[in-house]
Amino acid sequence: MAPPVRYCIPGERLCNLEEGSPGSGTYTRHGYIFSSLAGCLMKSSENGAPYRRCGALSHHTLVVLISLGCAADPRGGKLGQKQMRTQYPIPAQLSPALPVVSVVRETESQLLPDVGAIVTCKVSSINSRFAKVHILYVGSMPLKNSFRGTIRKEDVRATEKDKVEIYKSFRPGDIVLAKVISLGDAQSNYLLTTAENELGVVVAHSESGIQMVPISWCEMQCPKTHTKEFRKVARVQPEFLQT
Amino acid sequence: MAEPASVAAESLAGSRARAARTVLGQVVLPGEELLLPEQEDAEGPGGAVERPLSLNARACSRVRVVCGPGLRRCGDRLLVTKCGRLRHKEPGSGSGGGVYWVDSQQKRYVPVKGDHVIGIVTAKSGDIFKVDVGGSEPASLSYLSFEGATKRNRPNVGDLIYGQFVVANKDMEPEMVCIDSCGRANGMGVIGQDGLLFKVTLGLIRKLLAPDCEIIQEVGKLYPLEIVFGMNGRIWVKAKTIQQTLILANILEACEHMTSDQRKQIFSRLAES
Repeated sequence: MAPPVRYCIPGERLCNLEEGSPGSGTYTRHGYIFSSLAGCLMKSSENGAPYRRCGALSHHTLVVLISLGCAADPRGGKLGQKQMRTQYPIPAQLSPALPVVSVVRETESQLLPDVGAIVTCKVSSINSRFAKVHILYVGSMPLKNSFRGTIRKEDVRATEKDKVEIYKSFRPGDIVLAKVISLGDAQSNYLLTTAENELGVVVAHSESGIQMVPISWCEMQCPKTHTKEFRKVARVQPEFLQT
Repeated sequence: MAEPASVAAESLAGSRARAARTVLGQVVLPGEELLLPEQEDAEGPGGAVERPLSLNARACSRVRVVCGPGLRRCGDRLLVTKCGRLRHKEPGSGSGGGVYWVDSQQKRYVPVKGDHVIGIVTAKSGDIFKVDVGGSEPASLSYLSFEGATKRNRPNVGDLIYGQFVVANKDMEPEMVCIDSCGRANGMGVIGQDGLLFKVTLGLIRKLLAPDCEIIQEVGKLYPLEIVFGMNGRIWVKAKTIQQTLILANILEACEHMTSDQRKQIFSRLAES
């Protein structure tokens, strides 16, 4: 795949309105097209054959919609989905149609955990009120950057919520299956819950460092030292177990 | 000549794992492996001697040995995790093989649930106090965990607190309270004005808190005093005058390294003056 011809930054003037029509990631001022994103410049024609040469003219009028994914910002996917659709009538004397000029990010659009999604996360620290986790997988897709989540004390179990002890449900280093209940505020993390039979701890290591075997919904046992430890264990469906 | 080969095969360092029985009272270092009594017969002098399988139960009987502080089970052997002297205690009622542990000197305190400690209030945040107990993290103490807690009746920053841990593990911040499970203070709470707080080793505290400790009885005969021991190595002492308080503090700090004769000499000299 040919490397893109150039990168651009927000505010950079790309070309004249007579040379191209604005696509997504751009805006027009004073008869010129400016970039509104930091990414690589792309020109394409209606039938989807992209060509990335600045100044080339096509015979079609097209607006190509490129989605904007802001990889690092979990909010970018929701706010940035602006799709500009403009069509400029081609004057008869200018028979070649204008290519669409747009700015795209290199990475694919980020996969974001949505409300109700099952996520796989790793416990990073615990407190008497909540457990902080790093979200590693959404469904079965790994994430490139891990997000932060919080499992509150009252969201650990469905029954006897006030008698929950976080220390007897999770420990740092455990791998947990959880469900997203809320995206949280601007600054805070995703809120997760394990209040179902299929959610909870899947992999945990004992104090001696050996992976433990679940023996009930609330206990796991170390195969070497036979000590039992309390966890909120997930009831994984048999077809997903590898033996 | 199977012996050199078997000796070399024992461990990478080339030294055999020693029998725990032969090392009692000696200094052991972390990383050493100790053999329990019933394994010594199997190892034997050569290590590669074959014995016919004995059919009576005695040969496969396992004595239940308890691993105390400083030791950890590693396969069939005991692994030393702290440096100190190895000690052993025979079982009282005959069952089991007794307790092995390592006596070590330690000044740094690690919070343990149920320990009574002396803490210093360092900060107020939200509805909890942050209390310095000498561990890796300050412990949290709730406003309401005092007997008869009211808005006026609260410790201030800088006060000394005697309390016990309800939550203390390596994953979470320790939490302490100044009431017992019935809701009564039981001697815990804010420690009064004046007096002196000083630090000693954890071993000395355990020695002083043992029942019928001579040191405490002799000190009590010397001057009237108030004294509080915290398991985190802190002692608070208060006598009638500042001079007496300082004398008591010096005696207790020095008790660790004195023999009982030297101690008796010092006490008799003080009693005269």
